[in-house]
Amino acid sequence: MKILLIEDEPELRKSIKQFLYQEGYVVESADAYVKASEKASDYDYDCVLVDITLPKGSGLDIVKQLKKNNSKAGIIIISAKNSLDDKIAGLDLGADDYLPKPFHLSELNARIKALIRRRNFDGNQSIVINEITILPEERRVKVNNEEVTLTSKEYDLLLYFVSNKNRVVSKNSIAEHLVGDSADQVDSHDFIYTHLKNLRKKLTEKGCADYVQTIYGIGYNFKTD
Amino acid sequence: MKLITKTTLFFLLISLPLLVIGCIYSYNVINAEVKDGTDESLFRENINLQNLIKSFNEPRNLYLNSDSLTSIVVLKEKSPLDAFTDTLVYDKLEKEDLNYRLYRSYFFYNGTHYLISCSKPTLEEDELKEGLLTAFSLVFGFLLVSFFAVNIILSKIIWKPFYKTLEQLNKYDINNQAQIVFDSSSTKEFKRLNETMRKMTEKIYSDYRQQKEFTENASHELQTPLAVIKTKLDLLIQSNKLGEEELELLQGMENSVQKISSLNRALLLLTKIENKQFKEHKAVNLKEVIEKVVENYSDLFQEKKVTVKTILDNSVVLEMNPSLADLLVSNLVQNAYRHNKENGNMEIELTPDKLIVSNTGEPLQIKPEELFVRFKKNDASKDSLGLGLSIVKSIAAVYDYKIEYAYANGTHTFSVIFAK
Repeated sequence: MKILLIEDEPELRKSIKQFLYQEGYVVESADAYVKASEKASDYDYDCVLVDITLPKGSGLDIVKQLKKNNSKAGIIIISAKNSLDDKIAGLDLGADDYLPKPFHLSELNARIKALIRRRNFDGNQSIVINEITILPEERRVKVNNEEVTLTSKEYDLLLYFVSNKNRVVSKNSIAEHLVGDSADQVDSHDFIYTHLKNLRKKLTEKGCADYVQTIYGIGYNFKTD
Repeated sequence: MKLITKTTLFFLLISLPLLVIGCIYSYNVINAEVKDGTDESLFRENINLQNLIKSFNEPRNLYLNSDSLTSIVVLKEKSPLDAFTDTLVYDKLEKEDLNYRLYRSYFFYNGTHYLISCSKPTLEEDELKEGLLTAFSLVFGFLLVSFFAVNIILSKIIWKPFYKTLEQLNKYDINNQAQIVFDSSSTKEFKRLNETMRKMTEKIYSDYRQQKEFTENASHELQTPLAVIKTKLDLLIQSNKLGEEELELLQGMENSVQKISSLNRALLLLTKIENKQFKEHKAVNLKEVIEKVVENYSDLFQEKKVTVKTILDNSVVLEMNPSLADLLVSNLVQNAYRHNKENGNMEIELTPDKLIVSNTGEPLQIKPEELFVRFKKNDASKDSLGLGLSIVKSIAAVYDYKIEYAYANGTHTFSVIFAK
């Protein structure tokens, strides 16, 4: 899997790059418009992460360029301008997703995985982790081939864990993922705890191993190996 | 009071004493002129009578009218009399005293002393006064009527550009309009007014733009370093070399960074709402919004054992921005959840006129009017930004909804009233 990362802030670029390497992706990066534009036209990528505000240009133009060249790459806009106009403009141009800064790497990870799944397998591919099988298209989950009925939030939580398996996922990132960008969040830690408790119960009832490890104070790790 | 009415009244007020002075002056002038005229004719008559005396064959008395005011009387001796006097004479016909001017003078002819009297009725002062008063009242009345007529015409014609400008200013929406194009006026003052207003709105618009840009830029500038910290923390917590102590430190940092980014987003959201930057409006079925929000938090309600009762009218469709409708409902519901007690109740009622969200809970520690103030928290220890109700309030302000709060029988009630 090859990813092009277009981000002008060096420290952020470094972090995202490091994280993507850890996740096993091949990463190319660009810090300015011209370089980004060259790379986008010279190579094929599975996914392009593009910041809107770039030195000497707009990330939106890169999106335009990719679409013009019929690129197969999935496009995620990462922008500090959490403005509806930019979001709409980006999605209208053909970007697949829009992630406002500051985001959690786990969230970015989940978005990239969902995007690649949608692009490469039309979303039909099931995700199999030992005894758990997830059918993303239908939002269904099976444990040992037995159907588990999850609420929408429980399903989202499980998919988030699975996308970030074997990584520590902070409580805050889970809360943001589940609640979304609601301004004044409900006591988020109770929120996650409730959903997690129910999810664990439903999975283990069907004979699923409890993969969720609590990492002291900070979050959880869905450990499968 | 209209400016033109004020000026008119002012003019009338000034003209009233002027008219009174004019009235008194005219009275005096007319009176004096009439007297002079009468005196002159009396004097001429006196000369006529002297000539009459000269035609007498022998001295005798002669009364020329019944009341003997015009007469020639023979005197025994010389008299120094030569004077004009005013006298009242009772008139049988009109049955009232009439004013007469009387001229008596001494005349010596042919060794005989004569007293010549002649008289003339003069102008009656009462009648003069009355006449003048009537005339001046008429003038005043005419002035009054014409002033008001002019007033109406002037305000229709001359003041038209002014009212036009006023209307344009009233309709000015800084979010949709960079500047106002005023009609040109031939009146110098209005030209200046329009010019000044044009400059002012341009200045306000550019300041507004700058402020808006500042908010966006500030947020942008903050989001990037926050993103750096957040991602670095994400990478750091993956390390398996961390002990409990380090994890605890990291947790504190994580939570604070999360809080700053939430704050940043919430403040930006408030600015956007207040700047009316949520422009897309469509028919929103509020019942569906409420059901979605309640569904979203249903697990939480279960956990806290909060019983939620909803009475929702399906026909309530509001012309709103869908995101704002969602924010309005979810912030009210979050508030009702957060400040609820274990095993408490929450009731959401939707009618065509209003949305009522109520919850059981302890009485307020702060004043009710402080509820909607930014960062005012009833319970400072609660994990909340203190912006939820401010967001509710600013959304309500966008749509001219009224918000009411009441506390009774251990229940907090928030009502959003749609009807204007």
